[in-house]
Amino acid sequence: MSSPTLTKGEAANPAPSSKEPAEAPQEAAPPSALARFLGNPKTLALLVAALVVVVSALVTGDGTWPRSLTADVESPLNDLDNWLVDNRDSHWIFLYFLLHISNFAQAAYDTLLSLLESMSYVGVIVVGTLIAWAAGGADRSRRALRTGGTALAVFVVCGALDVWEPTMETLALMIVSIILSALLGALLGLASGVSDRFEKILRPVFDTMQVMPAFAYLLPLVLMFDIGVPSALIATVIYAAPPMARLTSLGLRQADPTALEAATSLGADSRQRLLTARLPLARKQMMLGLNQTIMMCLSMVVLASLIGAGGLGSEVYEALGALKIGDALVAGVAVVLLAVLLDRTTAAAGERLDDVATTSFSRAAAQLRLAVWGGIAALTAVFAAVGTAVAGDEWPENWVVDFTNSIDTAVNWFTDHLGSGIPLLGGTITWAEGFTEIVLNPLRNGLQTTPWWALALLVAVIGWIVGTWRAALTGVVCLALIGWMRLWDVAMDTLSQVLAGLVLTVVVGVLVGVLCARVERVDKIMRPVLDTMQTMPQFVYLIPVIALVGQNRTGGILAAVVYAAPAVIRITAQGLRHVDPAAMEASNSLGATGMQQLFGVQLPLARKSILVALNQGVVLVLSMVVIAGLIGGGALGYMVVRGLSKGDLSQGFPAGIAIVCLGIMLDRLSQPAAKRSRD
Amino acid sequence: MSETAEATAAGEHENAHEHGDQAGPAISVRNLWKVFGPKADRIPRDASYAELSQSELRERTGCTAAVRDVSFDVHQGEVFVVMGLSGSGKSTLVRCLTRLIEPTAGSLEFNGEDVIGMGADALRELRRHRASMVFQNFGLLPHRTVVDNVAYGLEIQGMAKAERRERAAEMVAKVGLDGLGERRPGQLSGGQQQRVGLARALAVDPEVLLFDEPFSALDPLIRRDMQEEVIRLHREEGRTMVFITHDLSEALRLGDRIALMRDGEVVQLGTPEEIVANPADDYVRDFVRDVPREQVISVRRAMRPAEGAEAKTGTEVAPDTLVSTAIETVARTGEHCRVVEDGRLLGVVDHASLLIVVAGLDKDADPEDAAPEDGTEREVAAV
Amino acid sequence: MRIKRVSTIGVAGVGLLGVLALTTGCAADTKASGGGDDKVVLAEPSWVGATANAAVVKKLLEDELDVKVEAKQMDEPVAFDALNSGKADVILEDWHGVPKKQKKYVEEKKTVVSGGDLGVVGHIGWFVPKYYADKHPDILKSYKNLNKHYKDFKTSESGDLGHFIGAAPSYSQHDKELIKNLGLKFKHIPSGAEAAQLKELKRLYDAKKPFLTYWWEPQWMNEKIDLVEVPLPKYTKGCEVPASEAKCGYETNQLEKFMNKDFATGDSKAAEFIKNFHWSTKDQNEVAGMIAGKKMDPEDAAAKWIKDNKSTWEKWIPKD
Repeated sequence: MSSPTLTKGEAANPAPSSKEPAEAPQEAAPPSALARFLGNPKTLALLVAALVVVVSALVTGDGTWPRSLTADVESPLNDLDNWLVDNRDSHWIFLYFLLHISNFAQAAYDTLLSLLESMSYVGVIVVGTLIAWAAGGADRSRRALRTGGTALAVFVVCGALDVWEPTMETLALMIVSIILSALLGALLGLASGVSDRFEKILRPVFDTMQVMPAFAYLLPLVLMFDIGVPSALIATVIYAAPPMARLTSLGLRQADPTALEAATSLGADSRQRLLTARLPLARKQMMLGLNQTIMMCLSMVVLASLIGAGGLGSEVYEALGALKIGDALVAGVAVVLLAVLLDRTTAAAGERLDDVATTSFSRAAAQLRLAVWGGIAALTAVFAAVGTAVAGDEWPENWVVDFTNSIDTAVNWFTDHLGSGIPLLGGTITWAEGFTEIVLNPLRNGLQTTPWWALALLVAVIGWIVGTWRAALTGVVCLALIGWMRLWDVAMDTLSQVLAGLVLTVVVGVLVGVLCARVERVDKIMRPVLDTMQTMPQFVYLIPVIALVGQNRTGGILAAVVYAAPAVIRITAQGLRHVDPAAMEASNSLGATGMQQLFGVQLPLARKSILVALNQGVVLVLSMVVIAGLIGGGALGYMVVRGLSKGDLSQGFPAGIAIVCLGIMLDRLSQPAAKRSRD
Repeated sequence: MSETAEATAAGEHENAHEHGDQAGPAISVRNLWKVFGPKADRIPRDASYAELSQSELRERTGCTAAVRDVSFDVHQGEVFVVMGLSGSGKSTLVRCLTRLIEPTAGSLEFNGEDVIGMGADALRELRRHRASMVFQNFGLLPHRTVVDNVAYGLEIQGMAKAERRERAAEMVAKVGLDGLGERRPGQLSGGQQQRVGLARALAVDPEVLLFDEPFSALDPLIRRDMQEEVIRLHREEGRTMVFITHDLSEALRLGDRIALMRDGEVVQLGTPEEIVANPADDYVRDFVRDVPREQVISVRRAMRPAEGAEAKTGTEVAPDTLVSTAIETVARTGEHCRVVEDGRLLGVVDHASLLIVVAGLDKDADPEDAAPEDGTEREVAAV
Repeated sequence: MRIKRVSTIGVAGVGLLGVLALTTGCAADTKASGGGDDKVVLAEPSWVGATANAAVVKKLLEDELDVKVEAKQMDEPVAFDALNSGKADVILEDWHGVPKKQKKYVEEKKTVVSGGDLGVVGHIGWFVPKYYADKHPDILKSYKNLNKHYKDFKTSESGDLGHFIGAAPSYSQHDKELIKNLGLKFKHIPSGAEAAQLKELKRLYDAKKPFLTYWWEPQWMNEKIDLVEVPLPKYTKGCEVPASEAKCGYETNQLEKFMNKDFATGDSKAAEFIKNFHWSTKDQNEVAGMIAGKKMDPEDAAAKWIKDNKSTWEKWIPKD
């Protein structure tokens, strides 16, 4: 369609014309960075704001939020807490609504788990492998065999590591929560993909969910649903459904407009258009969403165990309580393996969707598939009936390999030597102390002594520069909310840690990302490492982190960097690799050196993906605030942990909200720039 | 609408009427507007905006008039080409015809039936059975086989599966994709994909086929094949077609009549010959400058009255013989040709008069009308 | 064709679900209610002593009384909710760390009842490593001497003050207020979790660094590190309420068992056994030490203790 934009040579610009012409000039290449820097009124505003911040901090030396602008949020929360406990067994909203949800969740989990148990390990391995093979195409293709093989290996390794039983518990919980998350996500995504109004309502909800630490809503859930599988399941679903919803909505909205128009032009009504064209066209994105949802579900395994989910999460948590790194790591590896299993299986199924577009249709193949799935169902039934009789219900003891002690020894040796045993340079502990004193303490003091109004001004100006007045407003409102809840000082402490963590994450992430993009071998080595880092429950590496740097804020930051860096590395490397090959060729032909190419072409052109990486970094670092609270990060994270472990809504909940506020603020301050690049 | 133009078109296609028993035009468009932007409907109503150029209008109102006060008729069985550069509003115009884009103002009739006033159901009926469209980017569904793509329109109509697949298979054969019915679009070349698009549009047996730059995305050679395919289909079925293109040679090849659009307005409407021989203004003249005139213009336009004995000698040619053919004859025989219609001598052409056409000097002989800038549909009278 | 394939998968799915429902239909409703059936659910807090309790009780119940036992990981606050709702039947070791909930469920709602003392005596206090106390023996005389040495305890976290390693959030504590009220030059820096605190102490101990920490007994790590207590002002009943005015140390705590009321009054052998369950700090430390110190499997550790201490546990088995 060539409707509204006519005049200029805009056809050359592949980006769909933005509705705001004001944005266009910003994209123009600068003649001289410095000249533009100084000539821009926004920059001037930033300088002024920064000046105000510094001067006012020096003059007043006190950043406390005025007492008169606060409210007592604890009392009403206490009341709510009491009300919930008193009425949990009697109020209609529990009896007729929440209880049903809770019972359904429990029943689904129990049913699945007892099915898995009654099939015994042999049945699970056989059926699981077959399902993976069938998902991969149910034939002798490499993909089908590989998927099936992966499943087989995962199950056998989980058994051999002596975590079969908890693995089955976790698998049952995961399957139920993945199904529920995917369903809920698909429905929400459908609503917001089809209706603009829904999109408007749901988008801020998803945005909030994305930066909301799961810890923050564990507590209300426990109060509503009590501890146990239902709470864990619901927490997981809340956490994991948004990506599915987002991507479904995106897929629906990005569906090939010509195909949709073709459907309309053939007289399809809206229902027909949705069912026959739009949804099928969105299936690739939906598959991607499912994949992400699975990963998110698995990252909740350990947290879910805090509120009674059992399974591998409990194993990890319990092992850590006794400082058994080896046991924790083994259980963590099982979680990673489950992730691999589910990821590969759905990815294979997704690839097959792709194939559908390029292979011919064959009736025989379809019938074969039907037969395979029927066979799997039959086999499941057979195993369920006689599995335990044939194979016994526990993994045989002599098929177990115990690595845990050697892992312990290795990790201890490693941490001891890195911690303080490095000649000349001291060790990580000394470095951590230096980091705390040189970076963290001044940063925190600075933030805490800056008057709140100066900080609000700075946030507003940054928001205005990178985005719109709306971003500025959101940022300021978030700050105000934190102050209003009497959490200003604590939040500034957290903010200082988040900022430091963010800078480290981005520096490390971009450096390694550049390496990955430029050196093939580094990329090959890093890929499995990154995969593992992203799926390994964060809890597993908390204890080694303490051994390395001690229980303090630096430890928390280190954990956050470990957690957040993989995503940043990935996005950066991808951005660099996808730089327009023509531009690279041009610079080659001009005889640019590798460095010149990197700094002159690749980095500038990949600027947008680096901005996206920054935004991701913000979200991920923030999501580690609570976890960091577990190992000495203190501040808001600790308050949330305390609220949860004391079962105290009035302590944990405001802190959780404050984290969300910080998250939304930082997200808004980093997102608009990223968003524009996605267009 | 000019009597002459209508007469010419109708005359050329008397044999081609299959669908329209009605004598009236297949599509009749009057004063059609499509304005994008805030409070769009004030633009057509207010005459003062009519004076403004596109950029002035945007500056003044924030609106863009993609289609500006366009009127024309599409005759039964003709190939009506709308041509213009990108941004001229032609794609918007064709979408307005079945209200894929809702027109801002104006009237629109399909075989005498008002389209603007149609309710949702009637409009769907119109789209399902009477007009179907072929798209530039094909708009195929990647997850369906070729046959199922072709059957898609029938599926939407609610036709039973076996029946629609059978019908679709016929169409697949008709567009020359025999044996590829169970492939997926992703396995086909661009040209093949567009054949699927064409088959899909044909499958519902519409009165009118709408083409939106269907071959722009194809390689030149394949484009030529596809154009021939369309010509063949038109010859076989005589279906009314509205064809959007930005490619002048394509327009000249396919069009019985061409409407040339610029900035949302129809600058000139006429047969290819009229447009090439008699450009309405500098814009059109610029456009057709490189067209090999002898291959478009007929001897009717090149002839001069016979002088003396000329009326008796020379090969006889029909008045719609192309100049290029006449040149060949003249060069072969070495003498002039007589232009004869129904045994009546209209005039003669010789070296000089033919060369004048080739050299493009003839247009100076034409008293040029000052082209009205507002560009309402401008008719070019036949000489 | 896609629709067809989807329906294929759908059919398979329905089949699977059908099988599922058939084979396990009855399992679902019995399990959901927790305490109702013959399975005993133990609430097992995250520290090793609790693991030791649970492991021994589980092993004995299963081997001697043939009762199925499930130990569920949960800390005290959560455990009380679970006892209230019947999702758990018993917590074997409660440190009185959640007085609010205890009051609500035991005294007001009467859904949770005491199961008697565990026998283990819990003691909380402030501790320094022995190697430090040997050099500065005055510190063992009174907490007041802490201010003389606070500089030794400075870290990058505590700035100009001494670093006090606080307890994990779920533990009973009023150290922050105590430091303030006693005018000590220390900064209270809480631990995020017990594991974190243990690891930190281990690290500092191995490096022979001075530290001052919240510490308690029984605690399996006492076998590995040698800490000595800094005396605090004596505990008197209610002296720590409200915490903001606390100026005293901690109560010596008879650790207590709590049970779900229905379970406790249900007259089952398991309930009776749990009421009888009573062992010493030494016993518990022995098992905990095997689990945490020697990295034995809890089940094996329990089996070993059971083998060696028949006379102790025989008394717990209810007579017919």
